[in-house]
Amino acid sequence: MTGCEHVRHDLGAHALGALEPAEAAAVEAHVATCPDCAAELASLQPLPALIVRADGLEIPSPPADLEERILDRVAASRPRRRMSWLPRRFGRLTATALAGVAVGAAATALAIAVIGDDAGGGAAPSYDLVLDGDDGVSARAAFEPNDGGTEVHLWVDGLPPGGKAVYEVKCERPGWSAGAGTFRADAQGKAYVVLTTAARIGEYERIRIVRGDENVLTGNLN
Amino acid sequence: MPAPPATEDARIVERLRTDETGEAMRALYRTYGGELLGFAQRSLGDRGAAEEIVQEVFLRAWRHAGRYDAERATVRTWLYRIARNAIIDARRRASVRPAAATREAEEQDSGGSIEQAMLGWQVAAALERLTPEHRQMIRMAQFRGMSMREIAHETGLPVGTVKSRTWYALRSLRLVLEEMGVVPQ
Repeated sequence: MTGCEHVRHDLGAHALGALEPAEAAAVEAHVATCPDCAAELASLQPLPALIVRADGLEIPSPPADLEERILDRVAASRPRRRMSWLPRRFGRLTATALAGVAVGAAATALAIAVIGDDAGGGAAPSYDLVLDGDDGVSARAAFEPNDGGTEVHLWVDGLPPGGKAVYEVKCERPGWSAGAGTFRADAQGKAYVVLTTAARIGEYERIRIVRGDENVLTGNLN
Repeated sequence: MPAPPATEDARIVERLRTDETGEAMRALYRTYGGELLGFAQRSLGDRGAAEEIVQEVFLRAWRHAGRYDAERATVRTWLYRIARNAIIDARRRASVRPAAATREAEEQDSGGSIEQAMLGWQVAAALERLTPEHRQMIRMAQFRGMSMREIAHETGLPVGTVKSRTWYALRSLRLVLEEMGVVPQ
């Protein structure tokens, strides 16, 4: 194995084709008689073909806040519910304005978006209904069919904290309304509840959160 | 032998749904965020849109973590597929001819281009894990086609140093690619 030490350091360059012709010939002559160096060279030889695939590809440095934005979105997306019954065309729900009187004085404009997911082939899409209020009240709702109707998952933020107010959730269409249940805000003005209504998916067109006769939030499914 | 990172990744995905601390998500993002951002940016040609895609990818990953099957795909492959779907959706939204954009993206995919693209980004990520000195040797020799002598001339390093650095660089790269499962161990 004489010359191994010297040749070893040439093996990388040789695998990349970066030696002078005389040096390359010397390496070839050595590996022909040295199994160790031949094995080492063989382990390096697949690399150039892989390296060229990365030519021109620079891994960008993500902005510092991207990680936090992702975590925020995950936190805001709890709970997760699949709504496979919703056809894909619900992928863009129209913005809708709150008809009634908002909690507090400010008028509330609601933007409703449905986020469609289709990761994985052939899997049922999942959706979250997002309601954002300009006055700081926001809610997300998810719906899942169950035996007798719908299970409604509701996540609300920005309500007057810790009050005694009881909010009611209604599933409605024109001239028809079904209650899904009631809840209170916690000390932070938040609420997460799972409610059940006898209204079946498809029977209602909008979700309303009311306090007494006051409209708090509305989301239209159209 | 330590467990390969692919298995470690699968465990992270398993924890994703129940982990309230966000640590599993952070770990996943820190491993793949840069790659996926590069992949999306190249696909869409727009940094802002690419950042949106990356957010969407991790959000979808979180939602669908329960459906991840470690026996069917590595976490990386799974994430790239999610990214591919998110990019198709983004193109569909942006395109005046949605059907055409979708078809184009799907055709690219059926041609195996997502696997090809993924491999490129994977190698780029592997190169990122080398020391700057090692990366420099590989870039000069491979991307710029320079000989050891030319590199020595340009860098002012002895040619023996350039050679040994190149050798160590390739060995390190090989180890990283083994860990990633790109080349067999």
